[in-house]
Amino acid sequence: MAGRWRDLGLAALGLLVLLLVPVVGAPPAIRDFIMFGMAYGLLAMSLNLLIGYTGLVSFGHAMFFAAGAYAFGLAMQSGKFSIPGAFVLAMAFTATMALIVGAICVRLNEIYFAFLTLAFQMLFYNIILGWVSFTGGDQGLMGGIPRPKFLGIDLADRTQLYIFCSVAFVVCIAILRQVVTSPFGYTLRMIRDNQERAAFLGINVTMVKLACFVISACIAGVGGILLTLFVSGAYPNFGFWTTSGEAIFMILLGGSNVFLGPLVGTVILRLLNDITVSYTSHTELVLGIVILVLVLGLRKGPLDLLADRWENRRQAKAQAVRDAADKDAQAGRDA
Amino acid sequence: MDLDALLRCVGTTSCVVTQLTSGMIIGMLLFLIASGVTLIFGVLNVINFAHGSLYMIGAYAAWTFYQLTGSYFVSALGAAVAVGMLGVLFERVLMSKVYGSNVLMQLLVCYAVVLISDDLIKIIWGPVPLSMGMPPEFRLPPIRFMGGVIPPFYLFMILAAMAIGLLLWLVIVRTRFGSVVRAAAINGPMVSALGIRVNLYYAAVFGIGSALAGAAGALAAPVRSLTPGMGFSILIESFIVTVIGGMGSIVGAFVASIIIGLTRSFGSIGFPLFVDGVMFLIMALVLIFKPSGLFGRPHR
Amino acid sequence: MTSTESRRASRRQVLKGAGALAAAGVIGAPAISKAQTGTIKIGVPTILSGRVAILGQTSVGGLKVVFDKFNAAGGINGRKIEMVVRDSKGAPQEAAKVTRDLINNDKCEIILDAEASSAAFAVQEVIREIGVLCLHSNSETSSLTADPKLHVPTAFRTARQGIHDAIGGGDYAAKIAKAKGLKKWATCSPDYAYGRSNTAEFMEYAKHFDGNIQVVEESWPKLFQPDYTEVVTKLLNAKADAMYSALWGGDLVAFIDQANLYGLFDKQASFMVNLGDYGVVDQVKQFPQGVYSGGRYNRTVPATKENEEWYQNYVKTQKHKPTNWSWENAVAAEFVVEALKKTNGDTNGKKMAEAIKGMTLKSQFGTKGTVTMRAEDNTLVDYIIGYGVSLSKEPYVSDFQASAWEPIFELEKQWKKKQGYIS
Repeated sequence: MAGRWRDLGLAALGLLVLLLVPVVGAPPAIRDFIMFGMAYGLLAMSLNLLIGYTGLVSFGHAMFFAAGAYAFGLAMQSGKFSIPGAFVLAMAFTATMALIVGAICVRLNEIYFAFLTLAFQMLFYNIILGWVSFTGGDQGLMGGIPRPKFLGIDLADRTQLYIFCSVAFVVCIAILRQVVTSPFGYTLRMIRDNQERAAFLGINVTMVKLACFVISACIAGVGGILLTLFVSGAYPNFGFWTTSGEAIFMILLGGSNVFLGPLVGTVILRLLNDITVSYTSHTELVLGIVILVLVLGLRKGPLDLLADRWENRRQAKAQAVRDAADKDAQAGRDA
Repeated sequence: MDLDALLRCVGTTSCVVTQLTSGMIIGMLLFLIASGVTLIFGVLNVINFAHGSLYMIGAYAAWTFYQLTGSYFVSALGAAVAVGMLGVLFERVLMSKVYGSNVLMQLLVCYAVVLISDDLIKIIWGPVPLSMGMPPEFRLPPIRFMGGVIPPFYLFMILAAMAIGLLLWLVIVRTRFGSVVRAAAINGPMVSALGIRVNLYYAAVFGIGSALAGAAGALAAPVRSLTPGMGFSILIESFIVTVIGGMGSIVGAFVASIIIGLTRSFGSIGFPLFVDGVMFLIMALVLIFKPSGLFGRPHR
Repeated sequence: MTSTESRRASRRQVLKGAGALAAAGVIGAPAISKAQTGTIKIGVPTILSGRVAILGQTSVGGLKVVFDKFNAAGGINGRKIEMVVRDSKGAPQEAAKVTRDLINNDKCEIILDAEASSAAFAVQEVIREIGVLCLHSNSETSSLTADPKLHVPTAFRTARQGIHDAIGGGDYAAKIAKAKGLKKWATCSPDYAYGRSNTAEFMEYAKHFDGNIQVVEESWPKLFQPDYTEVVTKLLNAKADAMYSALWGGDLVAFIDQANLYGLFDKQASFMVNLGDYGVVDQVKQFPQGVYSGGRYNRTVPATKENEEWYQNYVKTQKHKPTNWSWENAVAAEFVVEALKKTNGDTNGKKMAEAIKGMTLKSQFGTKGTVTMRAEDNTLVDYIIGYGVSLSKEPYVSDFQASAWEPIFELEKQWKKKQGYIS
């Protein structure tokens, strides 16, 4: 219980830090960087609930990112919804889609699960591209996303938008944290480590996986909404397989075994991208070499590496304490 | 949707012959690429996401050799050998370092290679799309057969791809090399314990798989435009083929390539806007009802 | 100072910016350096990687030729122009982010949007919010400027516009169709917004000018599709008299190579609007006889001394041939330079927009030696539109016929009414 209060406290602290950014007068570019990072961060963090905690490697997670973005964007452009209304609608749509896709996919294991999610993602992508009259096809949702005021909040104002995104982001991260530290979260890890054992203990593995799939899809959907608000449009490549790939790289760059690892990965990848883009027109070459160095040099996400070191040291210390105790006991017997 | 047009086409032999061969053309090039993917996966248990880049390098290499020698056959052979060697290098220097680790780590290494090779191609050959042009020996009028039309080069392409596929299959099934490879696919450490240097076999398999991609690139070079990033679109299709046929099965890759080729050629008449969608639908259905693919054995 | 040097300078600055960004991210302090170098910075979001890297390369080339000349002449009030070029990889959300960064972080005062298709719409939304001057130099999609819902007062287009090309091309095609009795038409265009609207509009106006024309087959290969075999055989089965295609770049080269194998071009007249560009027409190895191409950029169109000199200078300084994108960007750069002279170096978005609105510029790319930025919808008019017969060798085009603009204006107005853009 204490852990839960500590987590919520940390979340509140994180939100405070985020909200301080505009207060201390940080330039708009930093706010933009953070907002962009929050959208992709949610995508990566939610995907890690599947990959890192449940052992479900999804290659199709971006479809929910796009689902949230398009559902929200279309609802707003229809002019019939307020922002909270469209938000709820987008969540409902994403959840329903995840329920259907998940029900079919989670039965499969490992690489087959990965390929099936990829196939569904590409189906969804092709529907977005093909249904021009509704989705705008490859041009995406053009003409901007209207942002009528609600509860006195005006998202057309960049600072208020930033605050809105920060709150949504921190709430989502807090939810994810609650999920992974709850008994449900431990069930997920048990399934990851040994599915048969979990089944023997009477756990309905399929249902648990499905629930996890839906939760993670909804959080990805929120990420999509944030990106839609940021760029004032939604585009098919939100749901292309390369976007899913990017999310996976973010997880790997940060580390999949530490809760905030994917977020660190997001920041690393975005920084890498922004810096290489400003320095050179050979962005691909630089990014490729950096990835190779990271993978072959570190073999793990930086945060995973730190966590391992810390764990080793802790164990070494514990061992030392045990050794000392043994020695004492030995000495006692000898005496 | 234009199912009437599809029915009308199926009703005339000329249309059926033309579309059948066009399906085979698309399918056989895919087969060369997918058989490399599936071979590498079957033996090394590694998904080579950089396979499309090897195909691209094969096409560019063939283009350069053709400029130098003026002989298409020499350049096609040269491209296959060069890409095969590059594949061995790629395996030894990079991929072998991530065997046994997370699938995602392997994916990351491949992604880095894709990025680097796209940019290197742009630096060496420039961003302008290149065209090799049809070698003079194939500048012949199309063959007419039962009212259908078949270009001679495509006939050569289909036969070449089939011959390479058959050769590959014979090597795997009939030779000592093949039996070691098959044994290594099932239990690498055991083969190693018998005193066989498995690593050499791994490198060889990777090299052969890469050479197949290089050969596909060389066969495609006279008819497809060469641009950085050309391996990208072919990659996804070759994965669809690999999954439908069954990961690790060369026969499966062959059958699935034909299925995809025919879906494309007849689909473009019947449901032109949803051809890609249908390919992914087939892939999804196969995965749902027979996850190991049409000819695959269940995944370890 | 040339723009290459200035680009390096800007990188240094960006390093500072990035460092500051990281620092501020960590300690939460505002640390962006206020380094005003005195140059006028122009941000250029474009595509420098992947399959259409040639778009970015030749766009930047077109800009550089103009800005280098401007800088060599001393700039304005001692201020020179500095380009900051960024790769968006063609992704709309990246284009939006990059554009915002160029304005907010790199302190660019003007945006020269050399993005294609959907990314241009994303940039448009950023401009709507921030209000700096923006010139879209590559997007040909008509609605970007024609649709009043998308209108942004400080955003202009210096590229061709699809509807203009369609009317001019339709007129030309109808004349040939009447003379040669081409009644049954097939189309083969890439399956995305540009390909679809361009093709629909072209056929609409071809039919408008020749009532006997009918479309018997449509094929829509995917953008960047490597293999066109199924499309070619489908066209073969259609047995049409003529074909229209809006394929472009490497896709078009591959399509021609593959269609040649089936002898497709011997069986029908072919109109390919994007064939005439360098990088395409000079890449096709087995050139079909008697195919028609729309005007893109060609050193002999117009066949003037200025144009030849411009071509020679471009090739000499940029080390590659100019494309359609090059002239579109060169015109954009000229507008910026002229507007700066008018505002006496003031880069304020509103003032610059006022200067550019309705401006007529002396230009070799215009039908009458001038091009005009039409005030009513912020788009370029009077540029050279036309069709000619493509050749396999220099000059790659013969019998080029430029379209007259008056009928284009007339039909464009009707088209706008039909779309509900004007009443």
